[in-house]
Amino acid sequence: MSDRAAPGDPVAVDRLMREIEDQVRRDRRTRLLARGGAPEYRDPAIYAAVEEVLRRALDERDHDTLLLPAMLGGEEEWGLRTHLELASHRTLLGPLILFVKRRVLLPATRWLYEYSLENFRRQQRVNRLLVAFIEELAIENARLRKAVATLQGPGNAESVPPVAESSGQQAP
Amino acid sequence: MNLACVIHRFGPDIAGGSETHCRLVAEHLAERHDVTILTTCACDHVTWRNEYPAGASAMGRLRVIRFPVRRMRSLHRFADISERVFAGRGSEADEEQWFRENGPDSPELLQFLEQHSASFDRVLFWAFRYATSFFGVPLVERRAILVPTAEDDPVIRFEVLGRLFSRAVGFVFLTPEEQWLVERRADGPLAPFSVVGSGLEPATSSEQLSRIRPGVPTPFILYLGRIDPNKGCETLLQYFRRYCVESSGAMGGDAARENVHLVMAGPANMPVPEHPNLTRLGLVDEGARERLLAHASLLVVPSPYESLSLVLLEAWNHQLPALVNGRCRVLKGQAERSNGALWYRNYDEFAACLTYLLTQPLEAATLGRQGLDYVNQEYRWPKVMSRIEDLLQRSCRVGTKAFVRNLSGP
Repeated sequence: MSDRAAPGDPVAVDRLMREIEDQVRRDRRTRLLARGGAPEYRDPAIYAAVEEVLRRALDERDHDTLLLPAMLGGEEEWGLRTHLELASHRTLLGPLILFVKRRVLLPATRWLYEYSLENFRRQQRVNRLLVAFIEELAIENARLRKAVATLQGPGNAESVPPVAESSGQQAP
Repeated sequence: MNLACVIHRFGPDIAGGSETHCRLVAEHLAERHDVTILTTCACDHVTWRNEYPAGASAMGRLRVIRFPVRRMRSLHRFADISERVFAGRGSEADEEQWFRENGPDSPELLQFLEQHSASFDRVLFWAFRYATSFFGVPLVERRAILVPTAEDDPVIRFEVLGRLFSRAVGFVFLTPEEQWLVERRADGPLAPFSVVGSGLEPATSSEQLSRIRPGVPTPFILYLGRIDPNKGCETLLQYFRRYCVESSGAMGGDAARENVHLVMAGPANMPVPEHPNLTRLGLVDEGARERLLAHASLLVVPSPYESLSLVLLEAWNHQLPALVNGRCRVLKGQAERSNGALWYRNYDEFAACLTYLLTQPLEAATLGRQGLDYVNQEYRWPKVMSRIEDLLQRSCRVGTKAFVRNLSGP
């Protein structure tokens, strides 16, 4: 006979996944604290809020449409260059040098190129994630500033000091 | 109607997702229409080496015309251009070059489309990422229906795709997530479309299958398909090995957890490490596949990129619950709509969901049953084909309007 049990009452996957994810979250927090993680995580609400911000950056943001890379302009200057461009500035010898590079040097060192490439790709993924996290924190900060301004009343909407001032980093 | 189906490779022994979808849909279309398959002589999607003879042949009700591939794929050139365009540094010309390098490069097929497309009422193209679709669709405007089989991978972000997607008079999508993905990339509103998925015949009676053991240790979780890093198999193997270590060390561990095996059935494109709880079967025939699905505790689908997981539908067809990669929008969407699978985004969630499915047999069986209900409701051939027939009719009206508009001039 089949190794499976007979079906029971209906199961709502959304609800079940929420329960499983909550349990995973609790276990992870306990583990982090036990290993000396940030003491702020003793407060479950703070831990949940931090995790929520990180999860938004990780799962909900499109990592190809972020503000910081758009502000920095073309990736030419700051992005990791993972593809290999073979060129030579010599007019006469150039084609020969390129031929040797393409047909001799590149095949001989291909294994090294591909090994490095995989690590560059990983680094690129990490960079994008970090940029997404920074953007998420900036958004969270802007939201909080707006909420504080609203709480202070309409007359004070513009009076929330910039973050640098409120955290004590006064300009000289 | 006189229909043509364009696909990069075609044959009963070809196991790719788009290719299988094309063959099954074409076979069902052929019950009501004249269907011609336009394809290449290639069998291997990596090299595109010519293996089938060129020319016309018959496969059941289908007329198959094969065209030779001019040059095999250069893996180095393809890797180099991929690196450039995926990093977002490519021009539109580079992106077009990517499609050329991806292949298959079959000028005779494209020439045939150019010269004979008028003799077909509709030309259906499968898989936008291959040269046959990318360069073929513009040659048969007003008649082209695209089955993009798009995944949320770097290719879908190419700038040139906006133009391609605006040239089809209809779209067949496999999931709502795929429709959303293509809609975001198209220049302007999409032509008529239908979200059809793929059809399945009811599975062989599980009582019949349950008498024959599949010859692997039980309980087991099943991975079916190509064993490939792009299919998430490296991560799956890492997670599974860690799960085994943690399960054997757990105090008061559950027997189902401790003895669980992973059975991987499919051709391997990567080294698979030896492990006492891992069984590799290689490519299995249809009968063995059915037996594995009938006896597994659950199916695992670790792929980060999918346009529709046919193997997931097959599992539900056998009332088998599943555990899928939640970072893949399509898989998570399928799991949510069906109530037939759980999903994970990291190791902790993988372990928690796997433990749940292994230690709660009643609930796991219910998930499998709910998956079957979903397949019965959405993925039986009569329903799938009625959606495609409806789209063919609607796209005819759009095609005629576009033709008249073109005749009238700007």
